[in-house]
Amino acid sequence: MKTNQNGGSNSGSTNTPKYPKKFYFSRRKYCVFCKDKIKFIDYKNYKILENFVLETGKILPARVTGTCSYHQKQLSKAIKRARHMAFLKFVEPKRG
Amino acid sequence: MKRKYEIGLIINPEATEEEVRKIIDSIAGIIKKAKGSIENIDEWGRRKLAFPIEKHKEGIYVFINADVVGAAFLNIERRLKLSEKVMRFVILRLDDKLKKANKLTKKWKRMEKMSRKSQEIKEESLDDENSEDMEVEDED
Repeated sequence: MKTNQNGGSNSGSTNTPKYPKKFYFSRRKYCVFCKDKIKFIDYKNYKILENFVLETGKILPARVTGTCSYHQKQLSKAIKRARHMAFLKFVEPKRG
Repeated sequence: MKRKYEIGLIINPEATEEEVRKIIDSIAGIIKKAKGSIENIDEWGRRKLAFPIEKHKEGIYVFINADVVGAAFLNIERRLKLSEKVMRFVILRLDDKLKKANKLTKKWKRMEKMSRKSQEIKEESLDDENSEDMEVEDED
């Protein structure tokens, strides 16, 4: 416990300046389906659906991919149908 | 009331071509009895499955588009469930999804107008939302 207290007092006395906040610049995300004007996402286009699924088979959230809420709802349904028809895997636990 | 439907089938890979024909013809027969029409039949043939179904690693994929009354699917579903050669099937109604999609076309029109105006005059882009006349497209 003593060592901990010493360490804490040392860091407090030196008054190390806080690092300035990091700013990340990234391109603004946009909905891929709205850009291409796709009205209906078909479960047979499994190659498109594979981009919105992790290796384990989990559906990626919209905040990661940037799809709008309308298309995200359709996507999740399309992915679930594709799983039923054995185009995509069901969710599997990671191995190794 | 007739509606657009899509039926997707996975048939056992051990089935012969005649047996596949029989399954398709039996569905087509029910649809014709209900005074519906078949738009097209897609046969993808043998494909690898993402995971084994009933210990089979392959399956024969068939997709059928049809204009039918919904009541016909009581018969079709029962037959597909009972037949041993059909491993999986999906029945989808398509037309209501296209109706809902008209909301999107409105949104896209608005987005296009907004982007055009913002390029020309950035300040006045927000004021013109109410003056737009929405045109509803019917795709039935």
